[in-house]
Amino acid sequence: MSTVDRIAWSILCAFGVFVIYESLQIKYYGSDFGPGPGFFSFWLGVLVVVLSVIEIGRTFGKRVPLPANFFPAKAGVARIAWLLGALVAVVFLLTRLGYSLTMFLFCGFLLSVLGKQPWWLTVVLTLAGSFGTAYIFRQLQVILPGGWLGM
Amino acid sequence: MEALQHLMSGFATALSPLNLLFATIGCILGTLIGVLPGLGPAAGTALLIPITFKLEPTSAIIMLAAIYYGAMYGGTITSVLVNVPGEAASVVTCLDGYEMAKRGRAGAALGIAAIGSFIGGSVATLGLVVMALPLSRFALKFGPPEYFSLILVGLSLVMALAGKSLTKALAMGVVGLIFSFVGIDPIEGAPRFDFGITPLLDGIRFVPVVMGFFGIGEILVNAEKSLASVVMDEGKVTSFLPRRDEWRICASSINRGTWLGFFLGLIPGTNSAVASFMSYAIEKKVSKHPEKFGTGVIEGVAAPETANNSYANAALIPLFTLGIPGSPTVAILMGALIMNGLTPGPLLFSQHATFVWAVIASLYIGNVILLILNLPLVNWWAKLLKIPYNILVVFILVFCIIGAYSLNNSVFDVGMMIFCGLLGYVFKKLDFPLAPAILTLILGPQMERSLRESLSLSQGDYSTFFTRPISLVLLIITAIIFITSAWQALPSAVREESKGAQV
Repeated sequence: MSTVDRIAWSILCAFGVFVIYESLQIKYYGSDFGPGPGFFSFWLGVLVVVLSVIEIGRTFGKRVPLPANFFPAKAGVARIAWLLGALVAVVFLLTRLGYSLTMFLFCGFLLSVLGKQPWWLTVVLTLAGSFGTAYIFRQLQVILPGGWLGM
Repeated sequence: MEALQHLMSGFATALSPLNLLFATIGCILGTLIGVLPGLGPAAGTALLIPITFKLEPTSAIIMLAAIYYGAMYGGTITSVLVNVPGEAASVVTCLDGYEMAKRGRAGAALGIAAIGSFIGGSVATLGLVVMALPLSRFALKFGPPEYFSLILVGLSLVMALAGKSLTKALAMGVVGLIFSFVGIDPIEGAPRFDFGITPLLDGIRFVPVVMGFFGIGEILVNAEKSLASVVMDEGKVTSFLPRRDEWRICASSINRGTWLGFFLGLIPGTNSAVASFMSYAIEKKVSKHPEKFGTGVIEGVAAPETANNSYANAALIPLFTLGIPGSPTVAILMGALIMNGLTPGPLLFSQHATFVWAVIASLYIGNVILLILNLPLVNWWAKLLKIPYNILVVFILVFCIIGAYSLNNSVFDVGMMIFCGLLGYVFKKLDFPLAPAILTLILGPQMERSLRESLSLSQGDYSTFFTRPISLVLLIITAIIFITSAWQALPSAVREESKGAQV
């Protein structure tokens, strides 16, 4: 087992302990017959801990190298960060700026940093991804946030 | 014989030019709706009900039914092409369908999905004609204990969905179950794992999790290399048909998928995702090369897609014969029937025979239309993959954001999708299979509810699961799946040793 795997199983084990702790705060037996709201989650937490311990114990001392390219190169990490950053920005801006403007910024930013298409194509695609999709989905009666400017 | 006569007169009505036109429009609209992430069959059918207001009842229901199964097929297209399932039943199609697309076989994946859907749907429609009433009565014998045992069969499939490591699959199954218990407890109303965050009281919705795990997770994995260099489809889509050697395998898979989907469709309260997951697991079990599942094998697409469509048609049987809607989309169809002055149930066949048989005939015709429409369009859909990936990614993300937001008009769901995307990325890197978590996320709430209802009915007596014949049979099947899967997962050395000791 690689160190990364061991860390992953340890995190899962900690998650299991957390689930057990949280489950003990809820009723184990129901007011009716049988299990209560905390019954299943308690035993599932136990199961996660048991599986993690078995897996860590089973491969204790065995060292397996990580697959090649497990960790992305710097440029790859940067692209992942851009994508995640842009998505998180959407969460914060969506109800404030409204769907169309937020998506205009989102599409414009990602198309600029991820690809190398001509500038006019970036503009056309940005408009299609923001105002274009807003128009289509609103025609389908899908409610999209309008934001301060109602767009 | 009487049924056949009725069916013939039903065909005469359904084949009228106007009804054919409505069925065609329904199939096209349904497919388009299914392609848009977040707008699954239920939302799509509900959205398009107003279009049918001015039609006469038979035409209205024919069109709505066509929208329903058109949307079921539409969900497949995005699963295969961009790894974003439009609805729960298409999740399992991603596993092999997307891998086929990556290898330039998107055409074959979409083609076999259309053919399988046609066969599954057609057989289920024939079943509706021949066996509707007796089968519905059998399905009514399913009480909470039987549901619980049936769900256990579904959960045992986690073992079959395991990739290289059974422990990882089990851990993911358990994590999915824990996620499914977030929110208000279904029996006593106690809040669980909400951490004071109000939207969590509604539970973790399935769509953001699936879009995150599969759609965004895959994009993040691809983003490790230059997105402009990612080539989704290296060659021209040469054929939308499977290779000659694949036909025999597909025929068996379609056969199994049809009957499984048909059987599950009869049982109200199940859902089409269970049918597609189960059929995938069965294919993996019976396959001579189970290790290849998840790498782009065609039976991994054929079986679940067939089961899913067979289910969709069979789910109409309990609606027409007993007035019980088996799934959310069928419940919407039921609403449309009532709006048109038709009460689903045993009397529907005697009081509105012309209407019922016309709709049944239109189901068959609809399946033919769907096949005729979609086979030539396969190449067009597959051309989506020619779009440079760095541009495609942006549009996939836009549709995912709309899909997640429009579920409940909540930014929280968008945040949940992003969080699950990150989790999906990490799990993929660590080789933890995602499908078991999705399966248990779907089945968890149903399992808990049916167990607790069963125990309430039996006043806490657990023997209720063993004394009811159907439940007992299902539990035995679960045990067999568990034992055989665990045995297969044992290292071969341990198995040999055990065999040697027996000799």
